[in-house]
Amino acid sequence: MLKIENLCFSYQFRPLIRNLSFEINKGELCHVIGPNGCGKTTLISIIAGLLSPNTGSISWQTKSDGITKGLAEVIEYLPSEANSLYAKMDATTNLRFWAQLRGMTITTPEIFAELEKWDLNHPLVRENFATEKFSTGMKRRLALARVALSKTPFWLMDEPLYGLDTKGIETFQHMLKKHLNEGGACLVVSHDVAPLAPLKPKKIYMTKEQETK
Amino acid sequence: MKGRFLNQVKALFLQNLKIELSTPERFLSPLLFSITIIIMFSFAMGKMEPSLIVKTFIAQTYLTAFFALQVSFARAFDPDTHDGVFQQMRTYPVISSAWFLSKYAMVVFMGSLILIPTMLVSLFFSPAVDLSIPLNFLLIPLLVILGLSPIGVLLSTMTMRSGAKQIIFPILYFPMTAPVLIAAVESSQAILLQQSTVSELMNSWLGLLSIFDIIYITLGLMLFGELVKAE
Repeated sequence: MLKIENLCFSYQFRPLIRNLSFEINKGELCHVIGPNGCGKTTLISIIAGLLSPNTGSISWQTKSDGITKGLAEVIEYLPSEANSLYAKMDATTNLRFWAQLRGMTITTPEIFAELEKWDLNHPLVRENFATEKFSTGMKRRLALARVALSKTPFWLMDEPLYGLDTKGIETFQHMLKKHLNEGGACLVVSHDVAPLAPLKPKKIYMTKEQETK
Repeated sequence: MKGRFLNQVKALFLQNLKIELSTPERFLSPLLFSITIIIMFSFAMGKMEPSLIVKTFIAQTYLTAFFALQVSFARAFDPDTHDGVFQQMRTYPVISSAWFLSKYAMVVFMGSLILIPTMLVSLFFSPAVDLSIPLNFLLIPLLVILGLSPIGVLLSTMTMRSGAKQIIFPILYFPMTAPVLIAAVESSQAILLQQSTVSELMNSWLGLLSIFDIIYITLGLMLFGELVKAE
């Protein structure tokens, strides 16, 4: 369970997040909604560990009495405007690299199986083909494949549907449903409400005046 | 923990190596820059006294290597800055010392790829330098690379995180490299002109060079984690 308590964050002297508290339990999808500039991406960056909050705490509780120390161990982050791909490397090398950084041993068939789900398993695409030549949607699908392969219990996604076609959105929905059914949790920031609606997310509304509901 | 540390060093180093080898222009341009400087120097200086040739050899080797390495260091994080790779790495459970050591090993490797050919070309244009000595002498440029590389990695990270961007690099890089380069020049002169041995020099300039290497590597290990943690 991810627990956020009394989170406050200001850019310079401009308060952006004030006393934000919520929890995300196992198998729960949390959808953060709000207008541009209300602090959604800032919130996700704080949870990912890229920004330090002014006050408040974020913790991941595995059991009733146990709290893990490193959020990086349990969180896989998908940023909004980047896919975290080495442009000169191919899809397989990129996925293997991120898995190795998590200390995972991942086999080539496992990678190919994940790429298959995202329609990226063509021999001319998956290997010896730099990802810089991928289209926007292909890069996003590969980034989502990385998230799926991370096998972390908590996913943090900022506009995950950016650039995805209809088939990609369906694959994303299947991936997320499977993750939640297996006891994982997820926080999504997205302006696209409809694709997430079938998964019955818990909604968090953020406003510029920052009275989080 | 130890296994994870080594696996992360290996994964990060091999990934960096693959990227460097897929973009050879990244080390070819500083290498060609160094060689061009050496060739121009040798033509401009013309015939010289043997002792002056040795001194010129030392000066041009470290001077060109210094500028070439600076270019190389400044680009150390280039592949990581694209598409949010660096930010993603910060969200991963990467041990900061493993991250630093992999970058350090990469920069040492790239530095050697620049410095070794530079020295060979420099030797070619310096016939008075006794070719039997450089085996002994090779320790010094190696220590120079080992000492300058941690500064390069640290400053590249700072440059990436700083609002001041590229301006921070020369301002800090030049004064921090001075003790390493002065000790290297003095040690090189002692070996090539005064026939001093390495053990003799360990009590003087070479010892100083080694101490600065240790200081800079330790600084790198200690500070890198601070530079990549949450803002």
